[in-house]
Amino acid sequence: MNGEIETQINLKPSEMLLHLGPQHPLQPGPFLLDLVLEGETVKDATLEMGFIHKGIEKILENRTYLQCIPITDRMCYLASISNNEVFCSGVESLMGIEPTERAKYIRTIMLELTRIQSHLLGIGEYATDIGFLSMFLWMIREREPIISLLEMVTGARLNHSFVRFGGVAYDLPAGFKEKTLRTLNEIRKKVEKHDEIMSRDSVYLKRTKGVGVLSRKAAMELGVAGPAMRGSGVDYDIRKVDPYLLYPDLDFKVITAPNGDVFDRVKVRLSEILESIYIIEQCIDMIPGGPFKQGYNPYLIKPKPGEVYSRVEDPRGEMGMYIVSDGTFKPYRVKVRGPAFATMQALPPLLKGAYMADNAAIASSMDSCTSEVDR
Amino acid sequence: MNTTGELTLNMLKEKFQVTEMRVESPNRVWARIAPDKILAIAKFLSNELEFDHLSSIAGADYGEALEAVYQITAYSHGIVLTLKAKVPKSNPVIDSLTPVYWNAAWYEREAYELLGISFRGNPNLAPLVLPAEMMGEYPLRKDYKGYPNPT
Amino acid sequence: MGEVEGAGSETAKVRPIQKIIDAHVTFTTTSAIHDFLKKTPLQDLINWGRKNSLWFLTQPMGCCGIEMICTGAPHYDTDRFGIIPRCSPRQADVMIISGYITKKYMPALKLLWDQMPEPKWVICMGDCSISGGPFWESYSTIINTEKYFPVDIYIPGCPPRPEQLIQGFVELQKKITAKQDRTQKGDT
Ligand code: SF4
Repeated sequence: MNGEIETQINLKPSEMLLHLGPQHPLQPGPFLLDLVLEGETVKDATLEMGFIHKGIEKILENRTYLQCIPITDRMCYLASISNNEVFCSGVESLMGIEPTERAKYIRTIMLELTRIQSHLLGIGEYATDIGFLSMFLWMIREREPIISLLEMVTGARLNHSFVRFGGVAYDLPAGFKEKTLRTLNEIRKKVEKHDEIMSRDSVYLKRTKGVGVLSRKAAMELGVAGPAMRGSGVDYDIRKVDPYLLYPDLDFKVITAPNGDVFDRVKVRLSEILESIYIIEQCIDMIPGGPFKQGYNPYLIKPKPGEVYSRVEDPRGEMGMYIVSDGTFKPYRVKVRGPAFATMQALPPLLKGAYMADNAAIASSMDSCTSEVDR
Repeated sequence: MNTTGELTLNMLKEKFQVTEMRVESPNRVWARIAPDKILAIAKFLSNELEFDHLSSIAGADYGEALEAVYQITAYSHGIVLTLKAKVPKSNPVIDSLTPVYWNAAWYEREAYELLGISFRGNPNLAPLVLPAEMMGEYPLRKDYKGYPNPT
Repeated sequence: MGEVEGAGSETAKVRPIQKIIDAHVTFTTTSAIHDFLKKTPLQDLINWGRKNSLWFLTQPMGCCGIEMICTGAPHYDTDRFGIIPRCSPRQADVMIISGYITKKYMPALKLLWDQMPEPKWVICMGDCSISGGPFWESYSTIINTEKYFPVDIYIPGCPPRPEQLIQGFVELQKKITAKQDRTQKGDT
């Protein structure tokens, strides 16, 4: 496998080929990054993916709609609720139903909690890669209370399989509101403190300011997604552009940062955590009563023939799913458009011309999830 | 420029003689196009109608024919235009969108290895997620034999 | 000269013992030394040391990998058991297979395993690595892990909770103390 690549790339005498991977200690999933170096500078970069390709699209074609939900969880396990959401909202629009009012609130709250925990882990991994191990430990410490909140509602730490067609699987447990507000208050204080550390530490600033700059125009051309895009000053957020659930009525800002360097991408994530906390605090007081799911028998879901493209804002950016139904119990074709796929694709051009030592910072500031790229 | 889905479809109809089309909801429009016009249509969309973002390229197997499905959208509005182009299974070749949308490259590689749609003009149509020895099996086709695979 | 002769006579005295040792063990290779030590009570001391410093290789491969990272981090804090995450296979004793093994990743995983110094153990974490889990019928996954690696501990769950992973380590420690793990039994 590696031999092939070496023969494909014609190296000059002053150049050197460096394999990074496929095992990466803290990136959630293996990928192979081949760098052609001249001295300290990266001349060329190639990515090889597919080390955890599981054939999810094929499996989905052979499952009933209800059985598909646990499989969609495992596409990107850091954002399983938004994966559920994109699948279920697609099937809902095929069936022509709407989630109940209470379910909409629950789903929005869960989506934002997922965003918080995913960003915390993403920043943690990035911090380790630039050699800031204590930040990683702090981030995981901050993440645990959020995980227990999610667990309180869904019963699982990861892979929640929580969203159903027209509703959610369970109602909110008693005491959820108080616990959430208390936890979020603490997280807010801590994240503000980390934000301060990250914007004042001179060593950290030297390592990240002006490194891996992705200009506004380049970001739009390369089609990166999510915080990587908004870190370059493009205010593109599916929650605003193509709103779903409660987002049309909610008050929130799209966080952007102007420079497009590593520092800005991480800054956007940190500020998004605060914004998500604000969204949850808006929703949690207004949860209406009523049923939390529609009275459908989930085992007998049979949407009308047709096709749909549904989109949500995953923690990593725009996530879409193209579902074709042929009127049977199983989907005919499912295609997943993952945000990490789009972002990973933009990595080789971004690494070109960077220093070898900055490479880890740039690569992990994109916060990719290999599992979702490979599927 | 204020684009609506219906307006876009009408423009496509005028310029490219697209016949089969529908508006599914305010934000979702759908059209079937001739495979040899895809590059021209994409150029028109991105240059004149501000459809500057390619969301995804999918492929689907419909028995005797394969279909390439393009979801084209924009950074400034939420309209998703779904374009479908049918290619015969015996010679599944279609123009690549890489000259217009840079990020088409990986989507096309994926559709190529999983379904066997070949994209003319893609700079590097190498396998992306499958191991090299599985190339040519096209696992997402409906007549693929290797699934389920209990080994 | 006399001294040398004296030494010579001493070796002559020693020689019968040397002969016995030579007949039974030859300290030519490390594994020979290990084989000899295994027959002595010294092995218990060695096992005690080994079982309290099970450093594991962090190589997240799937959803279970995230739980593995969390287990090594503050909340669950495996450092208190001497279980420390390592980033390099050359410093690790335990490989945790945390997720789906695909046909494409298998050679790399084998390489990682070969790079780890003896003694080493494998823990299968999660249904995927045990039997394929939700992806058992996929065209690109490998579901018979035990054919490729000498697995000592299987931790079922999808994903197993961090507590379960810690429990798995405790079971591995018990196995090492009882000399029942596959490295000591020579069943690799
Ligand atoms: S066992 Fe379940 S949680 Fe673990 S890697 Fe497999 S699918 Fe993911």
